[in-house]
Amino acid sequence: MSDNKDDFQWRLTGKCHKFGHDMGHDGPVMNFKYVIDRVTDPAILIPHLFEESDPEFRTRAKPGDIIIAGRNFGKGKAHVQGYIAMQAMGIGMLCESMPFLTYRGAISVGLMLMAECAGVSDMAEGGDDIDVDFSTGRFVNLTRDIKHDFPPIPEGLRDTVRLGGTKGVLQHWWETEGRKAAA
Amino acid sequence: MGMTATEKIIARACGLASVKPGDVVHPNPDLVFLHDGQVENSKKMLDELGIDRVRNADKVVFVTDHEVIYTTPRAAQRGVNIRSAAKTWKIRNFFDVGQGGHGHVFPIETGMVMPGMFIFANDMHVTNFGSVGAFGLRAGSEVTSVLAMGTLWTLVPKSVRLTLNGKLRPGVYGRDVGFRVSKHLAGGTKGDWATDITYRVLELAGPGLDEFALDQRVALCNTPTEINAINVFVPPSKAVLERIAAASGKKVGDLAPVYSDADAQFEADLSFDLSALEPQVALPGAPENAVDVSTVVGKAVNHAYIGSCGSSMYEDMVLAARVLRGRKVAAGTRLFVVPGSVQTAKRLADEGLMSVFQEAGAIMLQSGCGPCAGGVLGLMHSGEVSISTAATNGAGRMGAKDSECYLGSPATVAVSAVAGKISDPRSLAY
Repeated sequence: MSDNKDDFQWRLTGKCHKFGHDMGHDGPVMNFKYVIDRVTDPAILIPHLFEESDPEFRTRAKPGDIIIAGRNFGKGKAHVQGYIAMQAMGIGMLCESMPFLTYRGAISVGLMLMAECAGVSDMAEGGDDIDVDFSTGRFVNLTRDIKHDFPPIPEGLRDTVRLGGTKGVLQHWWETEGRKAAA
Repeated sequence: MGMTATEKIIARACGLASVKPGDVVHPNPDLVFLHDGQVENSKKMLDELGIDRVRNADKVVFVTDHEVIYTTPRAAQRGVNIRSAAKTWKIRNFFDVGQGGHGHVFPIETGMVMPGMFIFANDMHVTNFGSVGAFGLRAGSEVTSVLAMGTLWTLVPKSVRLTLNGKLRPGVYGRDVGFRVSKHLAGGTKGDWATDITYRVLELAGPGLDEFALDQRVALCNTPTEINAINVFVPPSKAVLERIAAASGKKVGDLAPVYSDADAQFEADLSFDLSALEPQVALPGAPENAVDVSTVVGKAVNHAYIGSCGSSMYEDMVLAARVLRGRKVAAGTRLFVVPGSVQTAKRLADEGLMSVFQEAGAIMLQSGCGPCAGGVLGLMHSGEVSISTAATNGAGRMGAKDSECYLGSPATVAVSAVAGKISDPRSLAY
């Protein structure tokens, strides 16, 4: 993984996959079986992402695509299996709102996520061509010619996302400080 | 400007004079709890990075409460990996199978968790420690960072104060208060109380709090946690401090409880009249779907369970035994009883309460989460109905997707198990 901050691609361009409001993680986003078994392997999780809500998602989704969802996405227990799958698929996400612990869980697995996009549900439909820059917050719906600026990924969390989440952060810490301190 | 109890606890843990909501800080925790669903994944991640040690291993506590007796080969494998991690990382506070019990219950009973402590855990119900005036912050899988680095970035939360007035009527308990309060809060700014509780500390106050002993304070913490309150802070009363002192072998004067300043800032000030409350039942689907029990009485139940992080203290078991003494669980209803700790299980045996449960036809299980852990044991088939003191009741939580999980207080569940249908706890003398 490149440690060069300039190499990282903050911009995704792809198709919109649209979901509604109050979508809990366990079940609608990821089958509970993989959650309760504490699975973290993307290869196991990817085939089951959104399986219960949108069985065609798996075959439609491509890297660079953007999930657009409504309010209170990921309500309930802040499990991360769905976000592990999204991140590994190279998919980003915009939602109108998300509980804080869900948000930090998703960021901790390196998901490209903007979770304060009030009104985004009215700006895109499934299948639209979307372009989002997660470092500036710039949203463009190429199909409907809609442009909007949303709050980007906060600067303090960009290293976490760039490094692929907590694991990357720990790796970086160990190599620069931790290993010396432990010696 | 005064600070809330939570702000003071966080400030102390950070070595700062003060903090305010919105600050990003790095607290040094007094304790770090991992349960048996998290240890293996943390070990795997740190092994992959070549990080071979844990910072402050003496503050780390491993508990075994979600899968206590390994009902699958995978669980047995996980147990081996957990023991290996505890050994490699030199975790002295390791509560293996059959030791300790529920990780958010036994540390309260033994006095391991003290007022004023800052605690990280992977699991959301670390908020149980708010019952003794500590602050327990759920870190999820990020607890791995705490193991390696000793801390984790933490956003200082706002606090919402809820004043309890009046007195509970007979047959009404802490879990009932939790269900109803959570219903009022669940809608956020569009809900009954027009307040967002997500990532806020719900701090309890008021004369109504006095009648809540430690076990009932634990009960209060449960449901607001399920609707994303980050902690439920219960300022320790004199009685609670005496109990903690006795359990820990310390003197009351050696404890360091923390209380909000008179001029602390709360995002909202709410109040609740305990005396107006009926026994509650949470309808299937969400623990905040609270209704008066009278609206659901008569619903036949196949499955019942008393226990979980919300209702497995010794006193909860005593209450259930009072209902079941001299009575039988209805035919067609299976009742599981799960003490919160190995210590409580032993007390029940020593005091003759174990026989009460067994005479009634209840099934005693190992201390831990019990059926609430989610698909591990005590499952229901398609179409079956349960009433329990579980923490949560989403579709499929305790078995088939179309089985139904109602929630109630230990008294409501015990009375319903005897009747074979959801019942008002006031319908029986106990």
